[in-house]
Amino acid sequence: MSIPLGHYLVLSGLLFVIGLCGALTRKNAIIVLIAIEIMFNAGILNLIVFWHYKEFAVLTAQMFTIFAISIAAAESAIGLALVIAIYRHYKSVDVDEMQSLKG
Amino acid sequence: MNAAFWILSAITVIGAVLAVTLRNLVHCVLSLILFFLGIAAHYFLLRADFIGAVQILIYIGAVAVLILFAIMLTHNVTGTEGPREVLGGKWWSGLATAGILGVVIWWAIYKDQIAAALPSNQKAQSSVLEIGRALMSEWVVPFEIMAVLLTAALIGAVVIALEEVMRRR
Repeated sequence: MSIPLGHYLVLSGLLFVIGLCGALTRKNAIIVLIAIEIMFNAGILNLIVFWHYKEFAVLTAQMFTIFAISIAAAESAIGLALVIAIYRHYKSVDVDEMQSLKG
Repeated sequence: MNAAFWILSAITVIGAVLAVTLRNLVHCVLSLILFFLGIAAHYFLLRADFIGAVQILIYIGAVAVLILFAIMLTHNVTGTEGPREVLGGKWWSGLATAGILGVVIWWAIYKDQIAAALPSNQKAQSSVLEIGRALMSEWVVPFEIMAVLLTAALIGAVVIALEEVMRRR
């Protein structure tokens, strides 16, 4: 008895929705970044799932996954640096309080 | 494989839900690590061993630690706030948006019954040797561009985080 493809797709969709929920409802900028990481992982899981079920002879999906994980790491480093810079400026990491574009 | 899928899925979903709902930021990061471990175990289950190892090394080893450092630098970690302080303004519209997207995704998967019933592929396997060869031959240009991108991100993160400190001097 093996797992059909649909189960993995539903799992990945559920994780994406959980991440979107967190990104849209939480106030703390760091939690928003955590939620974005969850959405990223849900998307990357799909690449590996389709590689496993359909194209296991080709390495393209694995390469895309490696590059996507690297970009996600770079993105989280920049995001956290921005959070720290904003905290220095506003003395807060609430996304509701970041309302002015300049100064 | 069947039982492993359900157990790992439960762990992953619980980790994700706790990571976005808990009040204490450090607890959120610990749940996030549980979520990353669940995803890595799913990769091992799908026979993508190298990707699972990369997931553990980069996400748990680097990203989670980075987030922990950011929390320690920005916030008091006691975090006993009420729900009004945790949720942003108009949180109900965000919840509705996520709910509608979830229904759409579920409907799209449910509609394509043939693809959704595709059985698991027992022959799938990957070797680190093949991945290394492909990275150094066919995929060498994206690989080098990735190196430049990571260097730029490193320098950019330092410049952004230190901007006000440098201006003060």
